[in-house]
Amino acid sequence: MGSAHTSVPRWPTSDPGLDRTGRSYAILSFGPDARPTAEGWHRQVVELGRPVWARHGGSADEVLAELAERVEAARVGWRLMLAGPQADVLAARAVATSGGLLDAEITLLVTDDRHRRVWCSHCDTTTLAEVATGDVTGCSGCGRSLLVHHHVSRRNAAYLGFMVDAETIDGEAV
Amino acid sequence: MTTLALVVGHSEEIAPGIRELSFSRTDGGVLPAHPAGSHVVVDCGEGRRNAYSLTNPGADPREYRIAVLHKSDGAGGSGHMHSLRVGDTVTVSRPRSAFAPVSTARRHLLVAGGIGITPMLAHARDAVRWGRDVDLIYVHRPGSEAFSDELAALLGDRLAETTDEDEFGRLLDKALTGQPIGTHLYVCGPGPLLDRVLADAAAAGWPPERLHLERFVPAALDPGREFVARLARSGRDVRVPSGRSLLDALHEAGVAVPNMCRQGVCGECKVPVLAGTPLHRDEFLADDERGAAVMCCVSRSKTETLEIDL
Amino acid sequence: MTLSVSPRLATFPFPFRADSYRYSTNVEPARVPVETEAGSWGAGILHLDDDYAAELAERRRILAADPSRLQVLPHMRPAAWDALLTVLRELHAQHPGSMSLEQDGPTFVWRNSLLGVEQRFTEGADDSLPGGPLGFLGSQIQDDVVLLDQREGSLWADAGVVTFAADWSLGFDVGMRFLEVHGPVPRIHEEGIISRAERFLMRLQPGEECRRTNWSMSVDRRLDQSTEVYPEWGPDRRAIVDAGPAELARRLHLRVEVQHLIRLGASGAIMFLIRTYLVALDELASVPAWRERLGRVLAELPEDMADYKGLVRYRDAAAHWLLDT
Repeated sequence: MGSAHTSVPRWPTSDPGLDRTGRSYAILSFGPDARPTAEGWHRQVVELGRPVWARHGGSADEVLAELAERVEAARVGWRLMLAGPQADVLAARAVATSGGLLDAEITLLVTDDRHRRVWCSHCDTTTLAEVATGDVTGCSGCGRSLLVHHHVSRRNAAYLGFMVDAETIDGEAV
Repeated sequence: MTTLALVVGHSEEIAPGIRELSFSRTDGGVLPAHPAGSHVVVDCGEGRRNAYSLTNPGADPREYRIAVLHKSDGAGGSGHMHSLRVGDTVTVSRPRSAFAPVSTARRHLLVAGGIGITPMLAHARDAVRWGRDVDLIYVHRPGSEAFSDELAALLGDRLAETTDEDEFGRLLDKALTGQPIGTHLYVCGPGPLLDRVLADAAAAGWPPERLHLERFVPAALDPGREFVARLARSGRDVRVPSGRSLLDALHEAGVAVPNMCRQGVCGECKVPVLAGTPLHRDEFLADDERGAAVMCCVSRSKTETLEIDL
Repeated sequence: MTLSVSPRLATFPFPFRADSYRYSTNVEPARVPVETEAGSWGAGILHLDDDYAAELAERRRILAADPSRLQVLPHMRPAAWDALLTVLRELHAQHPGSMSLEQDGPTFVWRNSLLGVEQRFTEGADDSLPGGPLGFLGSQIQDDVVLLDQREGSLWADAGVVTFAADWSLGFDVGMRFLEVHGPVPRIHEEGIISRAERFLMRLQPGEECRRTNWSMSVDRRLDQSTEVYPEWGPDRRAIVDAGPAELARRLHLRVEVQHLIRLGASGAIMFLIRTYLVALDELASVPAWRERLGRVLAELPEDMADYKGLVRYRDAAAHWLLDT
């Protein structure tokens, strides 16, 4: 299945390089693995002589709130560069696109995809878990065992989860 | 393409060399609705057909309105269009949309040069109707201010109008560096104006996805060169003249090929190619299929002869 | 017509034209009637049948229990109004004796005597209609509705009222690209089917209409098979395996969607109407040609497609009942 077709992100896992067409930049990175790349981007933007805002790590909620403010104030010509684990990058990207950014204005680097935000379709709770696509995780809302489906909402930065054992009767293997 | 037989309901020179025309049904009924930025293709006499942007609101229109600039030599059908008077009949295509507003835009920045104002009038109306944020920069020759009053009433201080090229440059510069991130830019006007706006926007960091040009799509595909279709199974040669599709030429020669959309997307009329090089104009075939097949509803031949497995 | 069949079968859009089924970009012009062994379907866009009031009552119940089945992203308001007026005008034209839409400037009066509805509203004023324009639209037709926006070279599923989903979730999928919505469907990407369908839809010009059918199966006459309520209907897929032949044929239904795709005029959005029909195997079997054809399709269907459609547990039993009993 080609990456253009599926809803599951197939984003670069090595440095895609700086998008040099921007007039100003924001660089946001999460986790130690993302730091060197983000710092490399930062240096390159400074060498280009363009304005840059950069944040590394910190509380995810605070960083995302600050990103939302930056997006609100941004002018066309702004570029967003994101690096970090897939769950963080997905969440930051969702904030950016809901503020009006286009894919063409966002550069992404995913350092790992161990964690997933899983939306429980039955109780509307989203659970962050260390779980792979196709595996099962518990819902922190209703307690059901959720199958993590290969289907992702970029708007909500979450994988679709649904009850794994709805079609089994007690004692049967899943 | 289905066409509409309409009558001219209004014909008026609204600026030097610019004539506004309206077309209605003879029974005054509702015409097909269309998004802002749509155009119709009008028969301009002598087999010419031109695309014109619609300036009327697109919801349940009872008339289509266009404005036509008279070319100095009357060429390209503009002379014919300027000769139309109330009560004349015209053949008009159904509206086609290729320059619609982007619904998610946080702001719509419109840039019009001269007669390129026509689609922007529809855009401005639509934006105001739905409460969308809109700015218009309108540059035109002195004394040639078509629709200025109407636009001023619609947009107030969101309209920046100028006849001076330097001032236009300053307005454009300021606009390109000051738009909120969700803004989309729409431009229509003479080629040099389009080139300038695109170049300046790119220099200011606008990605191409935010830039929308009015390009009149041809009413039909280019008529193409004549070629010969060689039918391998019968050994027959079928001449495919310019302006005739391979599908139609085969049909007239008594060779039926199943077909459906006739736009090169559905895949029904695929025919295997044995020799020659197809000129592909379809949306259906994948790259790796293009050597060995042709969609005969839209595609033609680069070589003088195309041998097909029929 | 040589068979005497129920009204439900007479208008049932039996979807199979051969003894095997694969996905294809099976779009065709709308409003062209299709003759079947039991009658015909497809002469119009909207089809109101004997279940009209009951299915709308079911939609009301579902929306009250789960408002997320109605979604309108803010930029889709003009498209929602366009969809509403387009559909109400179509209903008026098809049923002038029982429905009417009158306009006086921006004010409209909609009358639907089949439902006992008289509703005054102002175009563009969302709060002048219960449920807003799209919610109200969903209260007048049996079809689910999805509105697709076109931008950035893609179609986006940005609004909808979907209470009768076949194993998907509007609340999750809203805001996705058309290709992303179909991400989990096997085969259609490798075969280029879905991207070809998207290109075709993106080229629809104002007012153009087309349609296609899709199918699956379900246990019992249950229209709401959204992912949200899978814990309610999922167990039936397992339970039916243990049923005897008579119960299997009574409870197992062929589920067919007639999907209309209409390029709206003023907004330029694509209105996707999904009308779901259900017929139990034992009722369908009164048309011998259908009985045999469905049996062969089920027997032949590749495992991955059967799995995606949720048929793996019972398709052999269903094929056996149709072909061998």
